[in-house]
Amino acid sequence: MATERQIAANRRNAGKSAGPRSRAGKRRARSNAYRHGLTTAIMPGATLARQVEKLARKIAGNARDEIVLELARDAAYAEIELARVRRVKVALIERAAALAALGTPRLFNSAQEAIRFLNSVVQGKTPAMPNPVDPSATMPTEEVERTAEAIRRALPELVKLDRYESRAAARRDKAVRQIIKSRISKKINL
Amino acid sequence: MSQSSAGRALELISRPGLTITESAGDYDSLVKSLQQEISPRGFIEHMYVADMSAIVWESLRLRRCAAAIINMAFRAALKNLLVQFWKNPDEPAPYQESEVLAFEWFTDPNAKQRVAEILNKFHLDETAIEAEAIRSVAADLELLDRMLMSLEARRNRALRSIADYRASFAEKVQQVSDRIINAEPLLRIRQPAGGASA
Repeated sequence: MATERQIAANRRNAGKSAGPRSRAGKRRARSNAYRHGLTTAIMPGATLARQVEKLARKIAGNARDEIVLELARDAAYAEIELARVRRVKVALIERAAALAALGTPRLFNSAQEAIRFLNSVVQGKTPAMPNPVDPSATMPTEEVERTAEAIRRALPELVKLDRYESRAAARRDKAVRQIIKSRISKKINL
Repeated sequence: MSQSSAGRALELISRPGLTITESAGDYDSLVKSLQQEISPRGFIEHMYVADMSAIVWESLRLRRCAAAIINMAFRAALKNLLVQFWKNPDEPAPYQESEVLAFEWFTDPNAKQRVAEILNKFHLDETAIEAEAIRSVAADLELLDRMLMSLEARRNRALRSIADYRASFAEKVQQVSDRIINAEPLLRIRQPAGGASA
């Protein structure tokens, strides 16, 4: 563990840093604020930009006004995000159906079991390490039930994605409303 | 814009993935019926119809899942009830027998009769099994319900967006036509004035 002097020296040195210089370092630093990854682009920048532009032109229709096009780009980006969240949701369900769990296998069946194990370690005993719980043992074999069970097991993640999806939909709706508003005011001022 | 060109553009982004148990044909039928019902015009309306299709599809998926979760909880629920109701106070809980009877209840009419008799002693019927099954998975059902409510709200917003879009388009047409109509007398006044002075 670093001493307080070392920590202070590290902070001082970090303050002098101009950030990563190498291409690899910059790439690493890009994911420093990584949380769930959905806000970062998975597609190469150019492909995403092309897709956004193509969709934005469709949304903007005949409009050549740069403001409308920019709003249409916002709507297009949100729409692409929506599609992505939907694909992620299905991928999570499929993964839970195939592996019976989304995380690594649990070591204990319950909190009580874990506490019992830790207590015996504290008391100086050497309990045998439990075998990891096999989540697939309780997975139904019939396809429909298996999918339902997979959804049940992926529910906490699906709820989080649902909130993300709602926000993307709200951003798209807002951009579309502004496009309409902009079109109306333009027509009125003709 | 033709429906097919809008459809092609939207297919790139809006077609949601389907799980292994879902049918692409069923999804396409749903999209088609919504398109027939709403008759979308223009890309934005097509986009909202595609969004609604995905939302309705996911709602159906979650509803099916809720029903399956309850069904799957039936056996364990019945076993729990039998352990509670079957035992005599001075005997150990009959876990093994309860498990066997709960298993046979699904296929054996005699086992069904036996369970009915045990439940009847406490003035209960098979509804008690369903209640116990729902109670045991209530936390999951609540999460599913929350997701369904959020999907319903988004479906309604998508419908409202189409209505607003159409209303604003109609309003736009009306405002432009109002301007033309209001401008008309000015044109008329100018024309005779020019003609008179000539």
